[in-house]
Amino acid sequence: MPIFDQGYQHWSGHLAGHAWRWLAITRRGVRTALQSWPVRLALVLSWIPALVLTFVLCMWGLVERQSETIATLRPFLMGMLGRPVVAGPLEYRADIWTLCFHYFLAWELWFSMILVLVVGPNLISQDLRYNALPLYFSRPLRRIDYFLGKLGVIVGIIGLALIVPSTIAYIAGLLFSLDITILRDTYRVLLAAVVYGLVIAFSAGLLILALSSISRNSRYISLMWLGIWMITGTVSYILVWVAQEQRLREGHFGRHGWFSEQFLTTEIDFEKTDWRSLISYTGNLQRIEERLLGTNSAWRKLFDIAPPNTRGSLLHRMLYTQHPWYWSAGVLLVLAALSACTLHFTVKSLDRLK
Amino acid sequence: MAEVEHDGGYGGRCPPYSFLDESLADGYTNLVMPANLFQFASVTKTYGHVRALDDLSLTVPTGAIGLLGPNGSGKTTMIRTLLGLIPVDRGSGEVLGMDFRHRQLDIRRDVGFAPEDECLFPHVQGVEFVAYAGELVGMSGGDALQRAHEVLDYVGLGEARYRKVESYSTGMKQRLKLASAIVHDPQLVILDEPTNGMDPAGRNEVLELARDLAHNKGINLLFSSHILPDVEAVCDYVVVLGRGKLLAQGAIQELKQTHEQSFDVRLKSDSAAFTQHLAKMGCVAEPRGELLRVRIPADKSPQCLWEAAAAERVQIRHLLPQRSTLEEVFLNAVERP
Repeated sequence: MPIFDQGYQHWSGHLAGHAWRWLAITRRGVRTALQSWPVRLALVLSWIPALVLTFVLCMWGLVERQSETIATLRPFLMGMLGRPVVAGPLEYRADIWTLCFHYFLAWELWFSMILVLVVGPNLISQDLRYNALPLYFSRPLRRIDYFLGKLGVIVGIIGLALIVPSTIAYIAGLLFSLDITILRDTYRVLLAAVVYGLVIAFSAGLLILALSSISRNSRYISLMWLGIWMITGTVSYILVWVAQEQRLREGHFGRHGWFSEQFLTTEIDFEKTDWRSLISYTGNLQRIEERLLGTNSAWRKLFDIAPPNTRGSLLHRMLYTQHPWYWSAGVLLVLAALSACTLHFTVKSLDRLK
Repeated sequence: MAEVEHDGGYGGRCPPYSFLDESLADGYTNLVMPANLFQFASVTKTYGHVRALDDLSLTVPTGAIGLLGPNGSGKTTMIRTLLGLIPVDRGSGEVLGMDFRHRQLDIRRDVGFAPEDECLFPHVQGVEFVAYAGELVGMSGGDALQRAHEVLDYVGLGEARYRKVESYSTGMKQRLKLASAIVHDPQLVILDEPTNGMDPAGRNEVLELARDLAHNKGINLLFSSHILPDVEAVCDYVVVLGRGKLLAQGAIQELKQTHEQSFDVRLKSDSAAFTQHLAKMGCVAEPRGELLRVRIPADKSPQCLWEAAAAERVQIRHLLPQRSTLEEVFLNAVERP
């Protein structure tokens, strides 16, 4: 069609104010991310733990109602949860929900890291690579709008992977309980899951944005993210393990020390002042999750009613999350501050405008 | 400085958007134009020891404005200042009647900018890209998409709207950038080197579009380019910068003034004898291609040319007063100490 065939019409529509301008960037970012098959695959896989959680919560609802549907499963449940729990489930409702969500969130943390790995590196890096910053900064956008818009993409994707499934699973659990008091007992669990999802989204989002702004090559950024996620976790685990092994030897516990209630109790006390767990990025996030959900209290409650031969395994699950939660919060805050500084210095609207 | 008195650069023609009675301006009601497109008052901007803008004062009328200047002359800094992207060290100014020191976001809402860089990210359809540009200015998703279709039709990319932008040719990319600059119907469009690296056909299309926008669609244009014929083809008015200072500004037709004592002459036959005769009369004649450029002394009139032709029995086929080209205007302005 020749130029000018259609002419040019003036437009006198309404332009929105500045407050929500970042939402346009987020909307487009999420839409683009969802067009990518690795993201869609990771999202679908991330919903599998949510399905399992939903199933378990529904089963627990049947346990609470002493339903005949699960009569054949009672021996199995007694072996797994303990007789007192199955006999008086209402008393342990909040703890069981807490631990179910704890396992769910541990899986979702892993999927969140994967999703950030797939979605995050290109967020700013691509704009730098294709000199697309003038597209944003020559329009009525501030840098904070740009950053908020990009951060919103990560928040949106993690919301889809963690917050939305948590909420759906929670509602399904409520429906199967048929008891209004469950809201009073468990609303904190949903609240904790949502807050934890936001903590992951903002922390990981800021971090990946900062990484994304320091290179035009998104592969390097992916590698850096893998380093932060996996290498810090591995280093932290190795340091903790070496120290534990040393104490195991010094205490002459032998190989059975790992199942010894005495050794594990002293380990839990020792970890209350151990800094080694702080090295792991995901370890710090998990410590925040423990604090929000109150997982340790739930384990303690089960520990008190557990037979002596299973107590060691319960104590074992409480390792690695004993240091003060505010240490981990501090580490995450410092990382967020460093990320914000990096963004401030690397994304200069003027330098990029030729 | 070759500053020229002007009437807005339109030779008495009123720009089509200067509606004073809004009731008469159906469809143009948001275009109440200020008298001047932009003005700078003693604006100084330094980067370290470099003065990018040096006590720059100028007032530029509405219309199609060419921005000329060699590299490092301050063109880019001026564009950044116009868009409210950088704080100036000293001075003040307005763009479309808005202070560029305080109303940066409002200015950028009313200005469309097509940068020199490609700035197109891949895996996006042309229509998505333009709609996204509209959303970033504050248009709703629906409005932006509808408007994107309209402007893509206008710039001649209607049939390529669903193609990924990475498959576009250089000319198509330039037109796409132009479409994203005008998607929100700005009052001023800034085009930075829009014809760089383009083939003649693509270049003509972009120039045609720019000219149409500025002259028929009531959109002000700031056209920054090194290619003088392009500026001349699109603009009515030029601003020439050099070392951060204003070297010249004015309506192109007035800057290209005629020279009363200099003429371009073409003869039917050999010009040697004619040239010698003119030299005896105190004239200076220099060959310029097929023409002879003759400068006559101040005390003589063009009649001496006819006298010399009659004396040497040669026929004058072409005689016009010399008129400066834009290139000469530019070079004179830039080379002036």
